[in-house]
Amino acid sequence: MKYIDYMQLNPFQRFWYNFSNTMKAFPGKLKNFFAAIGMFIANFFKGIGKAVAGYVSRFVKGDWAVKISYLIMGFGNMVKGQFIKGLLFLGLQVAFIAYFIFFGWGYLQKFPTLGTVEQGMQINPATGGYELMAGDNSMLILLYGVLTIVLTVIFLAVYFASTKSAYAVAQQVAAGEKPVDFVSEVKDLFDKKFHITLLAFPTLTISAFTILPLIFMILIAFTNYNKAHLAPGKLFTWVGFDTFSEIFAMTEGASKGATFVELTKWTLIWAVFATVLNYLFGMILALMINKKGIKLKALWRTLFVITVAVPQFVTLLLMNQMLQEDGAINVLLMSLGIIDKGILFLNSTALVARITVIVVNCWIGIPYTILITSGILMNIPADLYESATIDGAGPVRSFFSITLPYMLFVTTPYLITNFIGNVNNFNVIYLLTNGGPSTENLYQAGYTDLLVTWLFKLTMNSQDYNLAAAVGILVFIVCATLSLVTFNLTKSAKSEEEFS
Amino acid sequence: MIKSYKLKRGLSNAFIYLLLAVLGIIWVSPLVYLVLHSFRDEGLATVSYLLPKTYSFKNYIELFTDTATLNFPRWFLNTFVVACFSCVISTLAVLMVSYSFSRLRFKARKPLINIGMILGMFPGFMTMIAIYYLLKAMGLTQTLLALVICYSAGAGLGYQISKGFFDTIPRALDEAATIDGATRNQIFWKIILPMSKPIVVYTVLTSFIGPWTDFILAKIIMGDARDNYTVAIGLQTMVSLEFKATYFKRFLAGSVIVAVPISALFLFMQRYYVEGVTAGGVKG
Amino acid sequence: MKRIIAMILAVLMMATLFVGCGGDDATNDGGAAATGLETEAGATLKVWAPDAALDTFKAQCDAFIAQYPDAGIKIEVVAQGEGDAATNVLNDPDAAADVFSFVCDQLNRLNDAGVIMPVNTNLAADVTARNSKESVGAATLNDLLLAYPETGDNGYFLYYDKSIVTDEDAKTLEGIFEACRKANKKFIMDAGNGFYSCVFPFTGGLKIEGLEGEDGDIQKFNDYDEAEVVATLEAFAKLFHEYSDIFFSTDVSKIPSGFAEDPSTCAAGIDGSWDAAAIQNVLGENFGAAKLPTINVNGEDKQLISLHGYKLLGVNARSKYPNAAQLLADYLSGEACQLERAQKNSWGPSNTVAAADEAVTTNPAISAALAQSVYSIPQINMSSTFWDPMGTLGNNLFKEDAKYDTATLTALLDKTIANVRDE
Repeated sequence: MKYIDYMQLNPFQRFWYNFSNTMKAFPGKLKNFFAAIGMFIANFFKGIGKAVAGYVSRFVKGDWAVKISYLIMGFGNMVKGQFIKGLLFLGLQVAFIAYFIFFGWGYLQKFPTLGTVEQGMQINPATGGYELMAGDNSMLILLYGVLTIVLTVIFLAVYFASTKSAYAVAQQVAAGEKPVDFVSEVKDLFDKKFHITLLAFPTLTISAFTILPLIFMILIAFTNYNKAHLAPGKLFTWVGFDTFSEIFAMTEGASKGATFVELTKWTLIWAVFATVLNYLFGMILALMINKKGIKLKALWRTLFVITVAVPQFVTLLLMNQMLQEDGAINVLLMSLGIIDKGILFLNSTALVARITVIVVNCWIGIPYTILITSGILMNIPADLYESATIDGAGPVRSFFSITLPYMLFVTTPYLITNFIGNVNNFNVIYLLTNGGPSTENLYQAGYTDLLVTWLFKLTMNSQDYNLAAAVGILVFIVCATLSLVTFNLTKSAKSEEEFS
Repeated sequence: MIKSYKLKRGLSNAFIYLLLAVLGIIWVSPLVYLVLHSFRDEGLATVSYLLPKTYSFKNYIELFTDTATLNFPRWFLNTFVVACFSCVISTLAVLMVSYSFSRLRFKARKPLINIGMILGMFPGFMTMIAIYYLLKAMGLTQTLLALVICYSAGAGLGYQISKGFFDTIPRALDEAATIDGATRNQIFWKIILPMSKPIVVYTVLTSFIGPWTDFILAKIIMGDARDNYTVAIGLQTMVSLEFKATYFKRFLAGSVIVAVPISALFLFMQRYYVEGVTAGGVKG
Repeated sequence: MKRIIAMILAVLMMATLFVGCGGDDATNDGGAAATGLETEAGATLKVWAPDAALDTFKAQCDAFIAQYPDAGIKIEVVAQGEGDAATNVLNDPDAAADVFSFVCDQLNRLNDAGVIMPVNTNLAADVTARNSKESVGAATLNDLLLAYPETGDNGYFLYYDKSIVTDEDAKTLEGIFEACRKANKKFIMDAGNGFYSCVFPFTGGLKIEGLEGEDGDIQKFNDYDEAEVVATLEAFAKLFHEYSDIFFSTDVSKIPSGFAEDPSTCAAGIDGSWDAAAIQNVLGENFGAAKLPTINVNGEDKQLISLHGYKLLGVNARSKYPNAAQLLADYLSGEACQLERAQKNSWGPSNTVAAADEAVTTNPAISAALAQSVYSIPQINMSSTFWDPMGTLGNNLFKEDAKYDTATLTALLDKTIANVRDE
């Protein structure tokens, strides 16, 4: 298709054109994506290789102080006058070794088996009471094992840096320069190396409270930590990919495989509807509120936006009460004579419940869209509309041919995060239906359960920790793939649309 | 011709007014229901009619005086303290991360941005056990400090919107300041931060509201230490089977008490919130 | 393996102890004197008790401390519902209470996870002797007494408003529904919740008979007449659809609420003793409590069979003061304490002497619960996959558009059982 043909398409055809192109290119892009991951890993190992080579050559080339620094961190720095820096290195080394000996090693050595001694009880003849013979706690071995591995990796990185630093300062002294003093190094941390100062604290906390637990979670998917192997009473151990094959096993009845497929489908449908409806209706409402000639703009906006400010768990629990068979909404509908028997909004058929949660989600989500889009809508150049009006376009047509394409272009990042947010929208489902209506065809799940609420139920209700972890990994893969698709889709659209 | 155009516009405006009024009522009515029933005097948990028949302050008074079992004022104070601390720390963390990703250039920047994005895509529930035992290893479980740590530790990952905001500030400003001899530290505090009021308010607001709404992680961390609950767990407890029959009205009253200050804060700060999120969350 | 050996040892020792203690006076209530078991000096204990009985527990713990004036015992009573005690103990056994109250169906989970300490062998015989056989059975797993029976009545029964539903009406489900319809008031039952909805298949003759399978965690259902269960389910479904204007399935807190409205909207409901005080307070003279009614299945009146649990007191396996904890659990589950809770909190005793006390037999809620316990399945050895499928089964009986012909219900029953067994 030539550019001139493309320009004559309406926005939807353009979008479709871009979409189909992206889809055609998708296998290639996916390949590239994985190739990029492969490259990343290859580069990572290359980097390590290089670091090791440098490590060895520095040892060979360095003087005696550098060589001692390979054993006693910071020694080289101290000898050459960088006393505080050297002391910091040494302190880290002592702390790590103490940690490793007194805490880490005990867990690390059991890491390959996750423990071998099962807890038992024995009777104390003197009192007649039972006594606990403590065994290994697989869960703690896994957790603290991971902690030890992560800390070791970090320590090794520091160790490499310290040898490098010892060598560098030796070079400086050999060249007759004065070693950089501590104060100016600290000063540097607030200027040239400011990113280190800024990122150190967040990186530390994120590593401890996000990355470390995530590694733990991912590893649990490869164990048999479930209701038959509960710590601390029983041991669990590595089982490889068994959990995943359990998820994909299609047996008779409410198999986990069927449940996973069904819930994935619904999660995607839900995310699409929840995102698109909120976006469209929110934008239309924002347009109406901001239309010229409409008065009391602040009042209208406040009416909608106030729902954003009330904590979600309050509004959702309230909604749950109101949607009951004898709840406020049914009472209202009955007193208006619209129905003569209460509707089971949340608990009859899959369709009714699913529509209900999507509608309630609109109630929750539309105000956000109003908030976010109002400002941008005002930025659309007025002459675009004027020329459309001259061409005889009504409000509907100008919405679809001007507003929507413009907004789609400008708000794609918001849409993507919103979509991912909806895939993981725990609150709405958990508080509103708790997954119901339940069905005998799904394992520990109902018709409105999303993958993430299922994950929660697997953890809390049936203690299928390994299954939950595996589902978590799969949710991640779904999200990552979707982001990849949408990101590429908007990239291709971006290069051709010229608005700003 | 002009007349008919005016008429048409008048009609369409009238239609819009009608629609806005109807929708506005739909949006607000659950909240009105919440407020009215929080003052309801008669009945136990629920009633089968729309409007209460008698009103009183009893639910509110009991909420604050009958604290032997469920100590709402204490929970409110806890949440307020946790929210204040975690909001300061989170805001700093978010600003630090987004500033370095947006304005500074260093080797690890791209990989770190990607790692940040990937981390955001994992559902977090399974990590709760790990977080609990890490906190336990530090001897912090069942304390408010643990909550502050949990709510602010991962805050740096929410850098996207505020990075988007910083991206819109012209780089020429930094360059001019560098020529004048300012360090990057000074640029951050003296030039960029004063220009970032909307995004600071946005970040403060979102991180302040967080602790008022989390009822899952907080419950696991607090266990049986009811005195250290936050309002979210507390209100959740009030609607659990054990308490619902007698405490549901107080739950409504408690909800109103939580919602009013947050709503007021939100409406008050709305302008900045919108500015921040539109500038940062979209390519404006 | 070690665990099995320990278990065998335990059983053997218990057997010898039984022989040894045979001559002793088994009714001796002050366990300590008879067993030579002593509390650790300076023991600090934490007790988990539900809110409703918190004050009673506090007073009883003070009385326990007074028994050992020199030991310097400190006890902290913390509120924690017994419904999710196992979840809370498993979350972090070290931070959990030394003595905790829980519902007996959590026993297998607590035992599997190795967080519950079996009853001291010197106390076991006495505990077994003074409590009802059923409650001891509920506290026993693999012939090992793991916990102290605390109540005999963690079940549900019928509440009704005597001004609308007569005692005679309350005997049959059809009678109740008809009376409700005449007064245009609701009958409420949480039929989508497995705890209540298992009544439907149980009434048809379904039984839980322990656990089977390699890990011993699959429920047995090997002895039931499929045709009979299905016919019963059909009868329930038919009744619910026929009376869909008065039959409401919603959470049980709506029962006291419905009674309390003016004019009341609820005339009868199925609920447990935890709501007894609230309902009694609201209904006053018209308060009615009875065992569950019967339902007519093909001309035969069948008694509704319920799930009947017991509250137990467990000792944390990681307690730092195991002896003091055992003695405290023994004391709290003793006759005097059970009787006091029956009077103050309407908890039906498992202790046989306390159960025969006049204060207990005249309490309508307790006697309704005890009357129902005769027609019940003990709530023990429940697998965690029991509740969800049972709730679904219940849901499918009353939903407006649900089909309830024999073929549909047979398929539903098969799937439910397969799901409970997690196959």
